[in-house]
Amino acid sequence: MNENSGYEMIFCIINSGFSETVMDAAREAGARGGTVIRARGTASKEAEETFGITIHPDKEVLMILVPKDIKDAVLEAVYKSAGMSTAGQGIAFSMAVNRTVGLQ
Amino acid sequence: MPFGLKSKKNKTGNAPGKQVQLPGKTGSEAPLALELLITIVEKSKAEFYMDIIQSYEVNFQFAAPAQGTAKAELLDYLGLTDTDKAVIFSVVRADKLDELTYTLETKFRTVRNGKGVAVTVPFTSMIGTSVYAFLCNAVSSVKGEK
Repeated sequence: MNENSGYEMIFCIINSGFSETVMDAAREAGARGGTVIRARGTASKEAEETFGITIHPDKEVLMILVPKDIKDAVLEAVYKSAGMSTAGQGIAFSMAVNRTVGLQ
Repeated sequence: MPFGLKSKKNKTGNAPGKQVQLPGKTGSEAPLALELLITIVEKSKAEFYMDIIQSYEVNFQFAAPAQGTAKAELLDYLGLTDTDKAVIFSVVRADKLDELTYTLETKFRTVRNGKGVAVTVPFTSMIGTSVYAFLCNAVSSVKGEK
């Protein structure tokens, strides 16, 4: 167990089928691996019409645990490979984690 | 009021529930901090780990099916067949985390096919004292109210 571990969890919410693309980019930036959960998006019809975009309801949530020092590089890689302006329409954010278990 | 918590009206002036400010923030503070434990394990071991976590006074948890992202070549090299995982989300009291993470670390090392990763993320605030009492397993406060 490692308290105040210096790790962060990056969550990427992307259109279904883009987890491989994101993971490849994240690996290049130094990430080791990730876990994908299937999910469904819930954007409102009005918002879609206002912004002129179509939200693909089938989503994947990719969770990548990375050391703090490479977090920015991984986020940037994720944004470039599957950001909002790409077909992946991804949103990514990171959360500091207090403790980690099982990394060694 | 359980735990001597101060209720706060929200920005709209209504009070749909009582706001519980968790430690580390200004304002009324909850006596017991809560954290979200995220545990990633083999799918077949999800129930095993959920039972362990539940024994640490955890009243709320759920598991979602997931996939690992290891490449096919790596799986072949290691002789593995699938990447099926489960992600378990559990709300745990911070004072239980030392014991729980120690147990998880031991189980990850010793249980066959039981390897996993767990991380915790602290909660910063919460709405509703009864929900808070439920998540903390504060049985005495419920009995006291009756």
